[in-house]
Amino acid sequence: MSYSTFNQNHTNPLTEPMFFGNSVSVARYDQQKHSIFEKLIEKQISFFWRPEEVDVSRDRVDFNAMTASEKHIFISNLKYQTLLDSVQGRSPNIALLPIVSLPELETWIETWSFFETIHSRSYTHILRNLFTDPSEVFDDIVINREIQVRANDISQYYDDLIFHTQLWQTHGEGEIEVDGKTYLINQRELKKKLFLCINSVNALEAIRFYVSFACTFAFAEREMMEGNSKIIRLIARDENLHLVSTQHILNLWQYGEDDPEMKEISEELREEALAIFMKAVEQEKQWAHYLFKDGSMIGLNESMLCQYVEYIANLRMEAIGFDAPFDQRSNPLPWMNKYLVSDNVQVAPQEAEISSYLVGQIDSEVSASDLGDFEL
Amino acid sequence: MSDTFKVKVNGQRELTVSASTDGSQGTLLDALEKEQVEVHYHCRNGFCGACRTKLKSGEVTYINEPLAFVRSGDILPCCCVPASDLDIEH
Repeated sequence: MSYSTFNQNHTNPLTEPMFFGNSVSVARYDQQKHSIFEKLIEKQISFFWRPEEVDVSRDRVDFNAMTASEKHIFISNLKYQTLLDSVQGRSPNIALLPIVSLPELETWIETWSFFETIHSRSYTHILRNLFTDPSEVFDDIVINREIQVRANDISQYYDDLIFHTQLWQTHGEGEIEVDGKTYLINQRELKKKLFLCINSVNALEAIRFYVSFACTFAFAEREMMEGNSKIIRLIARDENLHLVSTQHILNLWQYGEDDPEMKEISEELREEALAIFMKAVEQEKQWAHYLFKDGSMIGLNESMLCQYVEYIANLRMEAIGFDAPFDQRSNPLPWMNKYLVSDNVQVAPQEAEISSYLVGQIDSEVSASDLGDFEL
Repeated sequence: MSDTFKVKVNGQRELTVSASTDGSQGTLLDALEKEQVEVHYHCRNGFCGACRTKLKSGEVTYINEPLAFVRSGDILPCCCVPASDLDIEH
């Protein structure tokens, strides 16, 4: 089942499953099996922004005034987010594009990944402003043990899916030996790997980002690092949309509105999916512990942050059909919401309805005075 | 044009909510907030799903089409208004 960049077989994308059907041929969006992905593309593109539009120059003064423990919190979170977006800027493309079967979903995946690369570029924008040479920060991302543990968990499901898909596309189904190790390749096994991978990505978008978001917005509450906080708000808005897409994929499978085999797998691997989510929750709590190891910051401490992780995990798990596992039903950080409301996000100039920013616009209003000097 | 409906929240409080499908009376989420119900929300725009609420009985009308997946039995109060008396768990 080798991949073709333009599948010449006549297929009907309206009857294809989301993944592991025929590969996409014509990129057409006039008819859609799951129109939600086209709507997500539109929404995401309407959110377009550039890190350079946000002035972060004042942040350097704030950063230099921070205590050592606050600096540790701030920089560690940036490192972690850099890792997350490094993975997300490429992995959906590499893992999912070779197996996707719907044009609208294919384009959504590309749009999604593209926006993660904007996020990655914005971390460089922030760090360049804080340090003359940010290399030390970037270099530590691959050495720091706390980050490594998380990197492992985040990338392993992607890597597993990518490797097995490659074997399937080059060798077909069966037992395949590579470097003395035998792999059983068939479509059902691949679909299971896909299911676990999407669950892991869903947990990433659902909670992994939120510990850092909370710290950033806690600084903003004290009117510190406001340029940085503006950027993180834009990132949070995008991540919300990405989360919606993975929730949609999982729910479409669960409700049997896509591939019937994926419905079976959703039931079969329910416990494993739950375990992936719970492990992410645990890791985020450990991350909170690591952040506050040298001391807290005003307005936020380890236990509040852990309560917030539990609170948000409840919301996220109910969204994909699990029972809420934690008692934390009220929001321990109510000020977070004001940073997550999408209307409070300052729009980029090109989004606003200022005619000077509307590309190729025509003023179609004609008043009587425009014809004042017109004579027959 | 607006109608008034009774909204029962978490089996305890009963609120009177005026609703208009043109959005001029605000959303169900706005109404809950006004009555000091502790609400869950993020985007207030129908795409994040954080305000997901169980609808035990009644019907709602969406004034903006939600982008978040709405599971059966759930509603997103940030983008809907009551279309009948409601019994909800938020």
